[in-house]
Amino acid sequence: MLLPKFEYHEPTTLEEALRLLSELGGNAKVLAGGTDVLVRMKQKIDKPSHVISIARVPGLDAITPRDRHGVTVGSGVTAADLARHELIRDRFTPLALAAGRLGAPMIRNRATIGGNLVNARPAADFPPACMVLNAILKLKSAHDEREVPVNGFFRGPGDALIEPHELLVSINFETPPPWSGGSYVKLGARKTLEISMVNVAALVTLESADGPITAARIALGAVAPTPVRAYAAEELLVGKQPSEELFQQAGETGVGMCSPITDHRGTMEYRCMMIEVLTKRALRLAVEQARAWRP
Amino acid sequence: MKRIITLTVNGEPVEGAVEPNRTLLSFLREDLGLTGAKHGCGLGDCGACTVILDGKPVNSCLVLAVQADGREVLTIEGLADNGKLHPIQEAFIETGAIQCGFCSPGMILSAKALLDESPKPTETEIRTAISGNLCRCTGYQKIVEAILAAAGTAQGKEVS
Amino acid sequence: MSEFRVLNTRAARLDAPAKATGRAKYADDLAMPGMLYGAILQSPLAHAKILNIDTSKARKFPGIRAVVTAKEAGLVKYGVSPARYDETLYAHEKVRYVGDEIAAVAAVDPATAQEALDLIKVDYEELPAVFDMFEAMKEGAPQIHDEFPGNMNAEVHQEFGDTEAALAACDLVVHHTFLNKRQDAAFIEPHACVAVFDLDGKLTLHTSTQVPHYVMRTVAMVLQIPVGNVRVVKPYVGGGFGPKCEATPLEMSAALLARHTGKPVKITYSREQVFLHSRARHQFYAEMSLGVKQDGTMVALKNKAILDGGAYTSFGIATVYYSGSLLGGPYKLKAMKYDGQRVYTNKPACGAQRGHGGVAHRAAFEQLLDMAAEKLGFDPVEMRLRNIMTRGDMTINELDMSSLGMKECVEAVRDVSSWETKKGKLPKGKGIGMACGFFVSGAGYPIYRSDTYHSTVVIKLSEDGGIATVLTGSAEIGQGSDTTMAMIAAETLGIPLENVRVVSGDTDLAVDLGAYSSRQTLMTGHATKEAAEQLRGQIAAVLAETMGCDPSSITFRDGVVLFDGGPGNFEKLRSLYIKEHRGWTDPPGGEYLTFREAARLAYLKLGSMVGTGKYKPPRLGGSYKGAAVGTSPAYGCSAQVVEVTVDLETGQITVDRMTDAHDCGLAINKTQVEGQMHGSLSMGLGECLFEEVKFDSRGRVLNPSLGEYRIPTALDMPNVDTILVESNEPNGPYGAKEVGEGAIMPTIPAILNAVYDATGVRITELPCSSERLYMAMKAQEKK
Repeated sequence: MLLPKFEYHEPTTLEEALRLLSELGGNAKVLAGGTDVLVRMKQKIDKPSHVISIARVPGLDAITPRDRHGVTVGSGVTAADLARHELIRDRFTPLALAAGRLGAPMIRNRATIGGNLVNARPAADFPPACMVLNAILKLKSAHDEREVPVNGFFRGPGDALIEPHELLVSINFETPPPWSGGSYVKLGARKTLEISMVNVAALVTLESADGPITAARIALGAVAPTPVRAYAAEELLVGKQPSEELFQQAGETGVGMCSPITDHRGTMEYRCMMIEVLTKRALRLAVEQARAWRP
Repeated sequence: MKRIITLTVNGEPVEGAVEPNRTLLSFLREDLGLTGAKHGCGLGDCGACTVILDGKPVNSCLVLAVQADGREVLTIEGLADNGKLHPIQEAFIETGAIQCGFCSPGMILSAKALLDESPKPTETEIRTAISGNLCRCTGYQKIVEAILAAAGTAQGKEVS
Repeated sequence: MSEFRVLNTRAARLDAPAKATGRAKYADDLAMPGMLYGAILQSPLAHAKILNIDTSKARKFPGIRAVVTAKEAGLVKYGVSPARYDETLYAHEKVRYVGDEIAAVAAVDPATAQEALDLIKVDYEELPAVFDMFEAMKEGAPQIHDEFPGNMNAEVHQEFGDTEAALAACDLVVHHTFLNKRQDAAFIEPHACVAVFDLDGKLTLHTSTQVPHYVMRTVAMVLQIPVGNVRVVKPYVGGGFGPKCEATPLEMSAALLARHTGKPVKITYSREQVFLHSRARHQFYAEMSLGVKQDGTMVALKNKAILDGGAYTSFGIATVYYSGSLLGGPYKLKAMKYDGQRVYTNKPACGAQRGHGGVAHRAAFEQLLDMAAEKLGFDPVEMRLRNIMTRGDMTINELDMSSLGMKECVEAVRDVSSWETKKGKLPKGKGIGMACGFFVSGAGYPIYRSDTYHSTVVIKLSEDGGIATVLTGSAEIGQGSDTTMAMIAAETLGIPLENVRVVSGDTDLAVDLGAYSSRQTLMTGHATKEAAEQLRGQIAAVLAETMGCDPSSITFRDGVVLFDGGPGNFEKLRSLYIKEHRGWTDPPGGEYLTFREAARLAYLKLGSMVGTGKYKPPRLGGSYKGAAVGTSPAYGCSAQVVEVTVDLETGQITVDRMTDAHDCGLAINKTQVEGQMHGSLSMGLGECLFEEVKFDSRGRVLNPSLGEYRIPTALDMPNVDTILVESNEPNGPYGAKEVGEGAIMPTIPAILNAVYDATGVRITELPCSSERLYMAMKAQEKK
């Protein structure tokens, strides 16, 4: 399969990258891992006249812990690196799990968290995980810099709150409080190499190992034009003792937050029912992890 | 406009002039004659084009040749050492892990990357590591057996 | 211990080192000096009149060397079966599916060729189209071919015995309907070819095909080249599974463009084009009734089939016959009725795929058997054993089971899977199921009516006598036929396998109908064996004369010659050989005369050391219409047990374990037989759980990629407990028969029977996706 012709730019500093973006803006595509951009270009969906590779911009591929408060993940960090990073697996579990379920090993070696977020596909793996972790995205342009919460970043399929001259440089995560646990579950046809029919990320904080839920976040993917937070379901959980019945109720409430479509991967009806099941399972796993929390 | 790239392919320095819209796969196959990496789908779905880029297996159909500038590439042609086959290659031959052979170069390279990182993998780790390399002939069983056998070989060598 | 020295072992494949090192060349790996690149313009519309084709801009485009349409190609009709030649290389009056070929170009590079396609202007008048086979049969449906009213491509009506009367006399009649989905073979290598004409007008076509012989004939016919001037050479092939069993527009376009440009032309299908070309498994609708007696005896089967054929016939005539004929066994029946119809629709043509015509109907039948067993209170294994055929039985449609280890297969999978401790005893959500099946070891007749040999083989010895080269037209497509032929040659000649080489897949070497209908081992195997015997006979005759002994006292084994089982007095022969070969680095030694010395001696007497062999089956089958389809010199058979876990909350199925026993007559190479079994099961699992080619409302393939057309990954396919059953087929070389297709027959029904055991839900439509099963379980709950 042939790629259309384009001009290639390979900035070696962030400043240069941002300058190119401000000059070329709408005519350019940012190339990170290429697992999405190059596919879309081969399929002639995207025909940018310029491609700006950010692979040689220093620092974008770093995972930087910030004391006990959190972690900064460069937008160029690959799914493979996130999936195996000890701190991410331990404290930011939904992120590591989502990274491990994205595509297949070769894809995970190239695909980046930044690319996955900016592409804003409704069924993408990273967005729900980032949403339950309340990630803050740092966007930079040649003359400006702003921070955008991931909850609210997505506007529609392929549409996110980022301007053509902006670059997503990093994602900030606050470390969840003690007695927190997270999960990410995904339903596809095969066991791997799958685009989700439904995916769910959850983060639950308990008062103590056997205490009630003090905070909960649930994000659902592939069930609406953008991934969505199931706020009503989250509220329902707070202050209650975890139980199967409670998780079930939360799942039922979660369905109300969604507007899934029928497409060739699955029908609306089935997706709705699976939101219930997957939400329940995600909560169960999150609580299990929360109970096993160690300082 | 063509760009000059220099990279290491199978341990040898290589220079090439490529249009930016050329993939690493097409550069390897057409410019260097390294046709061991196969074109199966062009979209990163099948893994037949797998090569090892800076130690990691990647779909070379989704990497631009210009992105490989300055990097190190290992293809199936570079795996044997002076004509002596790599233990994974030997195991694939002995175990019957090869049928049509179109997925074999990619499969073997994914296995190599796995064993480099994890010399004693479990069966699940092996299946996960090759889960992006589709095979329609073998049902994967003899491929998994071959990789397990190769892992055994690798250990045998360490001991002796 | 086996008397064989080479056969029945686990010898490594001949081609494995080349394939493990990337040296093996496939069609797309070939390059020639001055080579051009071709591309094909395909219809964006499913059904339309072509009003005008304007190629003038494309012709003027820099870098374009040729543009061809129906005007240049002519309108020779072709297809697979001469009874239904309904294709021309390029559409001329109308297009019949999205992907129908209209024109082709040759250019200096692939990008230029692609760009030029966009410059060809085609004016269409869009016609109403029909995509559903049931709709296509209705009155007033759009007509796809004028010659076939009602879009009826082919009909089959067969009855053996009085089915209605037999059913009426049964204690129980069970019914079932079943719908599978159009499949893609999803071989990993897309079709590719390079065509080159020499200065004398002789065409050589290097192509990724299963059937060099048929490609040669079709290309010669369509391009109007004398057959003798077409040579088809098959490089290594990255899987075929059926759809590479016929000449393609790719091959004919490359040849035509090569003729127009005088340069080699290469064309490669993109993955999407593989889906558009299709020729893979049909969609089948099956309606079936089975009548049984209270004691579990099966009596009568009524089978109705409708096949969605797509826009052209391809293999479809054979397919629609196979759906009926392959249900005649492996169970005894007193009566069987079959009504099959193949219907045209505005979609890519369907053709042959592993288990040709039999897979969907076998799936329906084996579920029906379980349904009957349950109602009668029989265990499914017991029910099958009660009705099973054995060696020497003839099916009701006159297929001769000259060997049949079916009972041994059933008992083996029952025992190895611990069936008796599991069936009916597993918790909800876990299930176990079984099924059987059989398949031909090579179609009894060629696709075109002919008395041709199905295979000829030449074996030639090297000058020193030590190396035997098997020359064959057979097609190594990954199944291992080269290795199989080498092993048969080595065994017969009495030499080590490493002293045999194989050159195959070249129509200039020998005649061979190719790799389809699981025919290479039996048919090419016979020809190879005969060629080796002839060669061996020549050597033995010369030796006998020289030594003054009887030829029958001479045997060849492990590369040496035995006289009456001993070394004999061969000193003179050895010194003669050594004297002739002063300076050679490998003088013969040891206490026995070597094959090499003997063969050299024979050469000095006879000149060329060549043995030839040939094979065609005897007259097979009954005399009713269509009796030829389903005949074969032998039938392989298999039984499978599958264990599943169903996630009751999502409907997701995990296949935990598979047990498979296959009767291949004799396993020439045990590893390769197992490999065919594993591959068959994997394909069956994919077809059962995931695979479906989907179309949008305008007839465009929705999922023409290996991302969205899902074949099993290493994480979806479990390990298989693999059991070889060897029934010693009297009509096979050394007792061997098929394995490559029979092994897929039981997979789908075994999985579905296991799903039923786990959930109590009968699935009547594929794929058995999580959604389909979940919805079926919900519906069952409501009842």
